[in-house]
Amino acid sequence: MAKILLIEDEEIMIGLLQKKLVQSGYEVIVARNGLEGMDAMRKEKPDLVLLDIIMPKMTGFDVMEKKNEDKEIRDIPVIIISNSGQPVEIDKAKRMGVRDWLIKTEFDPQEVLEKVKKQIN
Amino acid sequence: MPRNTTKKSQTKSLKTVKEKLKELEACSIDDKKTRDLENSRMALMNILEDVEEARKKAEEEKEKTASIVRNLSDGLIVLDDKGKISLLNPQSEKILEIPQKEMVGKKIGDFEGVERMNPLFKLFKKELKSIFRKEIFIDKELILEVSTVPMIISGTEFGTIIILHDITREKTVERMKTEFVSLAAHQLRTPLSAIKWTIKMLLEGDAGEINESQRDLIEKSYQSNERMIGLINDLLDITRIEEGRYLYNPTLDDLINVTESVVKASQDTIKKKGVKFEFKKPPKRIPRVMMDTEKIRLAIQNLLENAIRYTPSGGKVTISIKSDKNKIEFQIGDTGVGIPKEQQLKIFSKFFRGSNVTKLETEGSGLGLFIAKNIIEAHGGKIWFESEEEKGSVFHFLLPVKKELEEFLKEF
Repeated sequence: MAKILLIEDEEIMIGLLQKKLVQSGYEVIVARNGLEGMDAMRKEKPDLVLLDIIMPKMTGFDVMEKKNEDKEIRDIPVIIISNSGQPVEIDKAKRMGVRDWLIKTEFDPQEVLEKVKKQIN
Repeated sequence: MPRNTTKKSQTKSLKTVKEKLKELEACSIDDKKTRDLENSRMALMNILEDVEEARKKAEEEKEKTASIVRNLSDGLIVLDDKGKISLLNPQSEKILEIPQKEMVGKKIGDFEGVERMNPLFKLFKKELKSIFRKEIFIDKELILEVSTVPMIISGTEFGTIIILHDITREKTVERMKTEFVSLAAHQLRTPLSAIKWTIKMLLEGDAGEINESQRDLIEKSYQSNERMIGLINDLLDITRIEEGRYLYNPTLDDLINVTESVVKASQDTIKKKGVKFEFKKPPKRIPRVMMDTEKIRLAIQNLLENAIRYTPSGGKVTISIKSDKNKIEFQIGDTGVGIPKEQQLKIFSKFFRGSNVTKLETEGSGLGLFIAKNIIEAHGGKIWFESEEEKGSVFHFLLPVKKELEEFLKEF
């Protein structure tokens, strides 16, 4: 069973994504800020990370920076899930090695699931 | 009286009368002279008094004018017909941090390298071009609006006034407003996404089967939520336009391809509305244009959405594109409700909606054309329309064909 780490601070969003992903047969670990996310990545070695950008303590970009410095977790694929989706931000994230970018208001859970499947296979 | 005596005395008296007359004449001449002199003296005195009064008045007026100039909250710099500074008020001294005596007699072009003069130097180093409300930054905390006014007296221009109007406060308020809208819109997106996702999961049966009437209601809330998301996105676009950080990453692209992708995405709406649609492509390939493709797509989408929305079922929407080597013209016509004549000037304003369409339906934020106009103009193009109520509208935009990226980005 593929393991997905969800790094997100918004409780409702966590609930919804977790439900959808678990229903679809994934194991879901939740981290509620960037720092927790880094720890979880190192400890759990997930198959995929769903990463929010605007979070307390460490932003999604900070997480990507730290992750890229760590050989152990550098290659774990990341999909950004954010409220925002400015081309500037998406470009920056892609340069940091992010695989995909989801704007929460533009995608629905089903489409997220498709993007997740694409990365895990 | 004896006759001879009489004659004698007669002769004498005649002489006396004559002398007297002469005397009198002489006397009257003298008197007239004196009177004239007196009159002249009086007149002169009057004139002198008048002059003195006029001088005083003029002085007072001058002092008044000087005091107005001195106390004006705007900075004034007066230049003579040779472009030399002849006067500047304390406010200009304060803004530029250069004392009057160091400026008078010099030209603006003489101030190269003087930090606070730099923006004015850049504007006027070559010539005193006429400027109206041009924004310049003196430093981070001081934003001015500069205008020039020619000084003309009976048709002759004998100098120029440069007006420096401090708009720092207005700009700060404007920025705060933009930041507030931007922040509010971002904050609103979080719960809106949550609503979208929850409803979608309900519709997809994640919480169990739902019956038709439940589905109907839930779908209605989904659509309303989508509209709200659309509105928030429009607002965010506008805050970005206002912050001047709108265009991003221009690339060479083909307007036909961009239009086709928009048309493809709108097929469902076109069918649902029941309007006929035609895309008249030019027979030859058109030159590619430097563009922020996503933004041009948005502009076309806004124009197409309007055309479909305001054309009754059975009507027709036509897009055509033509080009020459300098420009590409996009045209979209509809047989819709049109724009009332008296409102045509306002059609590109923020939040403006025609009175005839607000009656028609409530959808539409009044932001689409504002956004489209800003996108086209940011590309160095222009947008315009013709419209007749009850008959329809034709919107056009032009994009210049430019090869150079630098040229494209000139305005940003």
